[in-house]
Amino acid sequence: MVRGLVSFAAGLALAAPLAAAPLSVRVVDAAGHPVRDAVVTLYPAGNAARAPRPGGRYVVSQKNIQFHPFLSIVPVGADVSFPNLDPTKHHVYSFSPAKRFELKLFAKDQSRTVHFDKAGVVALGCNIHDQMSAFIVVTDSVWTARTNAQGMATFGDAPNAPARLTAWHPYLRAPAGIVQQNVGAGQRSASFSVRLRPPPAPMSMDY
Amino acid sequence: MACAAKRLLVRSAIPWGCAIAALWATPASAADFFSADTLEVSGDLRLVAVDGPESWVDGGFGKLRSGSNGDLRVTPQLGNASIVWKPEFTWSLGATIVGSLQGGERTEAGLSQAYLTFKPMRGTKIAASGRLGLMWPPVSLEHEGADWHVRDSITPSAINSWIGEEVRPVAAEATLAATLGAHQLRATAAVMAANDTAATLLTFRGWALHDRTTLAFHRQPLPPLGEFTGVQAPYTHPLIDLHEGFAHRPGYYAKLVWQPPVPVRFELFHYDNRANPEDVTLDMEWGWHTRFDNAGLVAQLGGGTELRAQALSGRTHMGFVEEGRRWIDNRFRSAFVLISRPFGPYGLAVRAEAFGTHNRGGWWTDEYDERGWSAMIAGKRDFGHFTGLVELLHVSSRNGSLEEQGLAPRQRQTQGQAELRMRW
Repeated sequence: MVRGLVSFAAGLALAAPLAAAPLSVRVVDAAGHPVRDAVVTLYPAGNAARAPRPGGRYVVSQKNIQFHPFLSIVPVGADVSFPNLDPTKHHVYSFSPAKRFELKLFAKDQSRTVHFDKAGVVALGCNIHDQMSAFIVVTDSVWTARTNAQGMATFGDAPNAPARLTAWHPYLRAPAGIVQQNVGAGQRSASFSVRLRPPPAPMSMDY
Repeated sequence: MACAAKRLLVRSAIPWGCAIAALWATPASAADFFSADTLEVSGDLRLVAVDGPESWVDGGFGKLRSGSNGDLRVTPQLGNASIVWKPEFTWSLGATIVGSLQGGERTEAGLSQAYLTFKPMRGTKIAASGRLGLMWPPVSLEHEGADWHVRDSITPSAINSWIGEEVRPVAAEATLAATLGAHQLRATAAVMAANDTAATLLTFRGWALHDRTTLAFHRQPLPPLGEFTGVQAPYTHPLIDLHEGFAHRPGYYAKLVWQPPVPVRFELFHYDNRANPEDVTLDMEWGWHTRFDNAGLVAQLGGGTELRAQALSGRTHMGFVEEGRRWIDNRFRSAFVLISRPFGPYGLAVRAEAFGTHNRGGWWTDEYDERGWSAMIAGKRDFGHFTGLVELLHVSSRNGSLEEQGLAPRQRQTQGQAELRMRW
């Protein structure tokens, strides 16, 4: 996972344009509280757009009947492995348009790898354990980051060009969970005020 | 009873046979019969201090699992012990078989649940699943796990005590679950059989609060029957099919669950065993046409605090119609509110409930009506495989017909319990 992040970060650095400056984005909820784990993506217009370097290896494990991490950001073309670290079986699936797949993971330490070749949000589930849920954001822009506990995401090398800025969160009340705005050339900060719904409580199947 | 049990076993052998046959078409790598994952063992030891009347388990009118003769009685007990086997035949087909031992007064052991589970890989956002066999319908908001233990206390509410003792049919159940935007929906429907005597105990004894569940083919004692002595057997088999031919008069149940995009879940459940109230065995066990509706609510109140509530209302008929009234026409209802909250490794739960029956039959009239309430507070602490629980429960009820038995119409009972629960 760490190697993958380093590789992804190196890809971001190599792809950074020369005319760049920091852009800080803040995401808050309706009450003004910071929203963490929102995924913010900058799509510069025209030639300033940059896709991340494809490839890299990432991990979404299953442990204690949960996915870890709950949220992953990977570039288009990434390979994500799904090791089962639980002593029970998992049946991992996704029906998201960005990637449809299912993995039958039999036993502890068994793993399968999935290649993600299309940008979008991939919602993960386990057909055996309904309470398991996680998300993979497959991005085609090098300027993609998640907000921290202060609701902040910063692009140190944002291009000095007009751009479209999006924010996605799994519980954001908006079509597809995404809100967006335009940012002008030279704009150094932006903010989103979003409405979140509570995380869905897992529904027991009674048996 | 013997004939009914034989019919049940023979007819039930067909779906079980189909399931076993399906094993032969299973890739060996997907099957798991006897690994550690397929076995669970649980049990509890408890110390019970109780006053009030003799327990219904001993043939009395007491509403708790243990009783006394009016004085405070303190006894150590083996509560419940269960062994759960959950073999997996394929990725989608499995089984759950539960053997239980019910300790305390009238200790007995036997089969608790036995059903096939089918949960194919969802092809869309709609998930389908099914169960087939001997099982509790999905009513209780207090029980969890295949061993059907009570989650936050030792003693369940009157509603779910009754479900545990009299409402466990042989059923074929299908469930569809779907996500529509931020809303989650689930619909369950089942056809069922072998639950024709449901509400016998509830009518003759009244509501009760205990965690003693019925074992397959075992019988539950009834209190003194008064004018029904000789007409009704002094016991009831909750798992029995009285009508000619197994499942020739099937009942059904259905459930709807809605979870909107707020931490609240609503449930509606309807049950109708469609038993013929004029069916009777040579042992004088009657068909009881019992139907009820149950509404459930689960709400997360923040900080881990959870509110759960159920309200059940039903009606049962038994016997022949004379002068426009069936021998027994009993309307029963109960409701409870349970609030639980974790405090680190500790948990606290409080529950308040009310219950009652309303008789308008030809033989049993309003003099047999019951009104009551109970309050419970329980605490627990988890220690890995162990859970320690303490519980204080008070129940008060009034039934005018108890005077015929030489008892006071108003019965009060207080019970304190300390339990060590184990699970592997």
